[in-house]
Amino acid sequence: MTADATTPVCEAINIWTQFGNTVIHKNLSMQVNSGEVLALVGGSGSGKTTLLRHIVGLTQPTRGEIRLFGENLQTLDRDGQKRVRNRFGMLFQQGALFSALSVFENIAFPLRELRQFDEATIHLLVMHKLALVELEPQHADLLPAQLSGGMIKRVGLARALSLEPELLVLDEPTAGLDPDRSENFVRLIKDLRIQLGLTVVFVTHDLDTLTSLADRVAVLADQHIVASCTIDELGSMTHPFVCNFFNGVKERLERFNKPNELIKHGK
Amino acid sequence: MSDAVFKIDEGSRIVLTGQWSLRAAGNHFAVLQQQLAPYFSRPQMFWDLTTIEQLDSAAAALLLTGWGGQLSQRVSLRPEHESLFDSLQHAQSPRRALDEALIDDVVIHPGMLKSFVLHLADFITLTGLLTLEFLYLFRRPRDIPWKEISANVYKGGVLALPVTGLVGGMIGVAMSYLMALQLRKFGADIFIVNILGLAIIRELGPILMSVLVAGRSGSAMTAQIGVMRVTEEIDALATMGVSRTLRLILPKVVALTLIAPLLLFWTSLWALIGGMVVAFFQLGIGFEFFIEHLPRVVKATNLVLATIKGFTFGLTVALIACHFGLRVQPNTESLSNSTTSSVVTSITVVILLDALFAIATRSIGI
Repeated sequence: MTADATTPVCEAINIWTQFGNTVIHKNLSMQVNSGEVLALVGGSGSGKTTLLRHIVGLTQPTRGEIRLFGENLQTLDRDGQKRVRNRFGMLFQQGALFSALSVFENIAFPLRELRQFDEATIHLLVMHKLALVELEPQHADLLPAQLSGGMIKRVGLARALSLEPELLVLDEPTAGLDPDRSENFVRLIKDLRIQLGLTVVFVTHDLDTLTSLADRVAVLADQHIVASCTIDELGSMTHPFVCNFFNGVKERLERFNKPNELIKHGK
Repeated sequence: MSDAVFKIDEGSRIVLTGQWSLRAAGNHFAVLQQQLAPYFSRPQMFWDLTTIEQLDSAAAALLLTGWGGQLSQRVSLRPEHESLFDSLQHAQSPRRALDEALIDDVVIHPGMLKSFVLHLADFITLTGLLTLEFLYLFRRPRDIPWKEISANVYKGGVLALPVTGLVGGMIGVAMSYLMALQLRKFGADIFIVNILGLAIIRELGPILMSVLVAGRSGSAMTAQIGVMRVTEEIDALATMGVSRTLRLILPKVVALTLIAPLLLFWTSLWALIGGMVVAFFQLGIGFEFFIEHLPRVVKATNLVLATIKGFTFGLTVALIACHFGLRVQPNTESLSNSTTSSVVTSITVVILLDALFAIATRSIGI
């Protein structure tokens, strides 16, 4: 294995993406270090999701290279690709659960694909993952269509976690959840991150999610990463999008740092 | 970093070392489980997990299952691994047997009769809703969805012209060729016109057209309505105050009913042309004679009959397609089932109706 502590978990090197005449990414470079939580932010249509899809190997950049755990997915053979893909889990924006399979089978799917575990172990592991995302065992028999939005996200997360990935990729993890649930979900991801030692990359529009979850923020604007730093350091940036964006963040940071006062006011 | 290994110390002590996790690429847990199996069952075995490099839930679950779901005194753990085993033990729940679940499903849906009755009830509801929409449109002709009807006429009719023409022509050629060989034996060459005319216009044309329309437009309609249900587009329509029956079902039904007789004549026409060409080459019956002789042996009532069949079959296919489309549950399995059912049911019902027609009209037009 080439991965060690000094290799970035994920690295984008001089990425160009072009759809017809539209340039999405222009000479974009980015790096995700082991153990950190990186938030990818940017305006609508700035290419956040596209970059995420490049990272997980669903699409290929026009030029440039994506390295996951030090390896380029596109140049690997089938087995190598499978090995690398098993080292990260992805939570899609809509959950992307297999609608014909129950919750149990959805989470068991990656484990079954591995063909290394017997039914008893798979059962135990699925139940463990369900408990991990705070779902009840009786939810295992439900079909995705019977789940609420928040539960779909949880099941999606459990499925992404079922192979004990090192890297977790989240596309809009809290989109479509009410503030209460989105807060719970963020707390869940934070807990899991500590428990499982995850590296997390996520895309978000939600400033609350951002401020409470991210170690580092990468801002995507003008077709490349205009800032890649901690939230506090964003304040010193002069890029118009970053300034605009940071104003929203600042308010939340103040609230976030003084939660007690707020509660007092509230009561 | 090394793969998961274990060694036996002093006969009764088993020491696990290395990376007991899915992250180590060299691990194969099925093999490990097999190798460990003899020790799992040995009660005097002492398990030492303290020198393990990394332990993840997958490996822990494997070990715990091996120990029969219980942590015993004979297992020594590192403190940081205790919580993992704890949560795994809590996650244990009685395993559901898959076979039982299947039997349960069968019990919930007893017999095909009930499902047939449910289908029938839904179908009657659908026709009822459609009738109400028609009455509504009588009063409010401005709301007639012309655009949708026109789009459906184009999709289901105009685009179906090549395939129906081709299939019709080929069937005509095949039939005429076989008949020609038989008829020549009896010297009854001229009857080819009777046989082709009656068979194609009365029976084959309508059936061929319905089968093609069911396979082509019927399946498309079911899938379209089904996907719209899956993606909640139908609900979105409803919230905008747009009647789904009026905007989705009615245009399809009207369009298919209108174009079915036209497609039927188009299919029959090409079948007759195919038959005529073969009759010319095989039996030497000229085109002019064929065309002149045809109206004499096939009465005009047959055309009326064919038109009625065309309307009926088109209506049937469209109604069945919409019926199954509306029954799609929001998952992919149900979508594929419904589309299959839609096509199979349409074709079966059309052939049944055709048989009824044949019996009811046995003394007309022959």
